[in-house]
Amino acid sequence: MIEIKKPAMAGTLESSDCQVTVEEGEGTIEFSLDSTVINQYGNQIRKVAYDTLKNLDVKNVKLAIVDKGALDCTIRARIEAAVYRSAEQTENLPWGGAIRS
Amino acid sequence: MILSGAPLKGNELEKLKAFLRKMELEYDEGIEFSVCILSEDSEIIGTGSVDSNVMKCVAIDETYQGRGLAATILSELVQYEYEHGRTHLFIYTKPKNDVLFSNMGFYTILQTDQVLFMENRKNGFENFLKKIRQETPEEAFDSNKKTGAVIANCNPFTYGHKYLFEKALEQCDYLHVFLLSDERSTFKPEERYEMVRRGIVGMERIILHWTSDYMISSATFPTYFFKDSKQGQKANCQLDLELFAKKIAVSLHITKRFVGTEPGCTVTRTYNEEMKKILPEYGVQVFEIERKTWNDLPISASVVRKCIADGTFDRMRPMVPVEVYQYITEKIIQF
Repeated sequence: MIEIKKPAMAGTLESSDCQVTVEEGEGTIEFSLDSTVINQYGNQIRKVAYDTLKNLDVKNVKLAIVDKGALDCTIRARIEAAVYRSAEQTENLPWGGAIRS
Repeated sequence: MILSGAPLKGNELEKLKAFLRKMELEYDEGIEFSVCILSEDSEIIGTGSVDSNVMKCVAIDETYQGRGLAATILSELVQYEYEHGRTHLFIYTKPKNDVLFSNMGFYTILQTDQVLFMENRKNGFENFLKKIRQETPEEAFDSNKKTGAVIANCNPFTYGHKYLFEKALEQCDYLHVFLLSDERSTFKPEERYEMVRRGIVGMERIILHWTSDYMISSATFPTYFFKDSKQGQKANCQLDLELFAKKIAVSLHITKRFVGTEPGCTVTRTYNEEMKKILPEYGVQVFEIERKTWNDLPISASVVRKCIADGTFDRMRPMVPVEVYQYITEKIIQF
């Protein structure tokens, strides 16, 4: 399981990107989403977020996404980057999977 | 091209100041980081700055509006804040920018004619109100009861604070004491909380809360934390008082606010003056209580801090409650 040790972020607010922030949770996954396309893709973004966290084996986190119409792959990459930064993993990044130690 | 500096200096700073003046904004001396977007001929066309956990002086030249420059600026500022471990962020802007910042993950806390005050947490302020209501016993919401409030830093807790609480309790049934959550004081927030908790044992009508960034914080009242420097002369406290009166006092049925008289500090004195002007408009009476003295000198936390720094504990002894004296001396032995 990856522990969220410190607040971290990844991404920007530019069009077609998203800004992802993570903080230590209170025992669960707390998810908040702002999106310019929330009515069209809100559920899909939520699904991508939860799938990515599951892949990373993160269970205790406050995750906030401010989305500007990012594609799924972008969202996934931004979440992974934020989580890796938070876990202070900067080398040998296991993109798409969990950090194993 | 992007130009940034923590903070900008020299010629670049002068250019930024000039740009802000053109946009009818003033460069704030507390700013620690600024980012500017430059046009091809190196003129500033957009900018934003950070002062602690507050983003301010965000402006875009009119001819370049609508091109997503604000997104670039805000991304840089938020990145900077997170790199410095700050996650609860605030922004001051003009009310007309409501939609722009709502689309970037900011939520309105309070809007007045001149200023829009936002935070990056959905329901952040509502959750704070909910929390302080939960901390309050049922009886204190009774409309027949008189409810007051004191906001204090208690850095450290002194007989001066205790006296203020006692005087306040003479005039109300319940007293909400809000302790500043800010971490920049000599004593850590948890230490201050512990001192107050020990110092008010037996004063059952006091309800203790944290201010959680929403009262006298770097966000609501930026100049408070610069009171030692010159720029603190101009107290920037309207928003703090309006937020208290319109939202917090209403939520807890507070109708009285108590403050100690301020002999020394200009910023606090101005704050008290403004308080007397603004709060009564919203049905909150303000009581200024004469400070308790020791040997004809007003007791103040800053004098106590000086005693601690100098190691003159005997001088400090008559100014703090016994429990607090013990706590402080225990702490110092530990160091």
